[in-house]
Amino acid sequence: MNVLCELAAPFVANSAVEGTDVARPFRAHVLSCLRCQARQVAMAKVAREMSAMSSEAFRAPLDLEWRVMSSLEGDLAVARSWRTPVALGAAVLSMAAAILIWRLRPRAQT
Amino acid sequence: MDVSKVEREKEQELISRAQSGDRAAFAALVREHGNEVYTLARRLVGDPHLAADVAQETLIRAWKALPNFRGDAALSTWLHRITVNTAWTHKKRARRHGGLSLDEVAESEAPMSAEHPEMAGEILELRGRLRSALDALPEAQRQVVVLKDVYDWSHAEIAEAMGISVSATKVRLHRARARLARYLEASA
Repeated sequence: MNVLCELAAPFVANSAVEGTDVARPFRAHVLSCLRCQARQVAMAKVAREMSAMSSEAFRAPLDLEWRVMSSLEGDLAVARSWRTPVALGAAVLSMAAAILIWRLRPRAQT
Repeated sequence: MDVSKVEREKEQELISRAQSGDRAAFAALVREHGNEVYTLARRLVGDPHLAADVAQETLIRAWKALPNFRGDAALSTWLHRITVNTAWTHKKRARRHGGLSLDEVAESEAPMSAEHPEMAGEILELRGRLRSALDALPEAQRQVVVLKDVYDWSHAEIAEAMGISVSATKVRLHRARARLARYLEASA
């Protein structure tokens, strides 16, 4: 195994994916090395496959929609859970204040 | 009027309704984009169960952020960005809690298009090996190579979504491709 092949490997892979020339320091080597050329061809094939993978899709779990929507429902439930006690508390406080004001009002002397 | 225009208008209407709080409209968007979000999550994190969690959290984040969606980019592009961010957050969380390594090779799971009989055996075999090789890459490298070579994002887009510099994305991509080539060569 040629050390130069190993050093050139990342540049060969990049050039194959990008469709560009191999970086200058390794260009001459790749032109004369069948192993590197084979790697370049193999990686170009891989690059085409990776690009084609963008159009294929994995099937999401069947319960994904349910999981998302029930999480949102949960968020709303939390939001509702503090609103009701706060509204009730505010109503009770204002009633107490009204009674206090009414009881403490100055009365006309008879 | 062409079909894609009709679909775009229909989607735009669903987005507007969802932005004003209509959960049924959002559920329709989840049905429309669920597979796409899950697919990206699956490719980014490798593990199908974790991918399902990432997809779920992505869509919940999308619901919360939807009022701020202005439509400058397509909804799918916007969802992709949220998916990348969410996958990244999950990765950090998993590391912090000492959970399972995300680089563990996931169980074999074929994408839907692999069911197509017209795909040549050689291509199917190459895709299988490619998927395994991608899953075997370290997380950070896998994310960059998936976004660049599968989804054709620019370095700037990847850098922004992952919160790293453009030069870091280039270095990771360079290493990832070299490693990918080695894996594939070894598995041939």
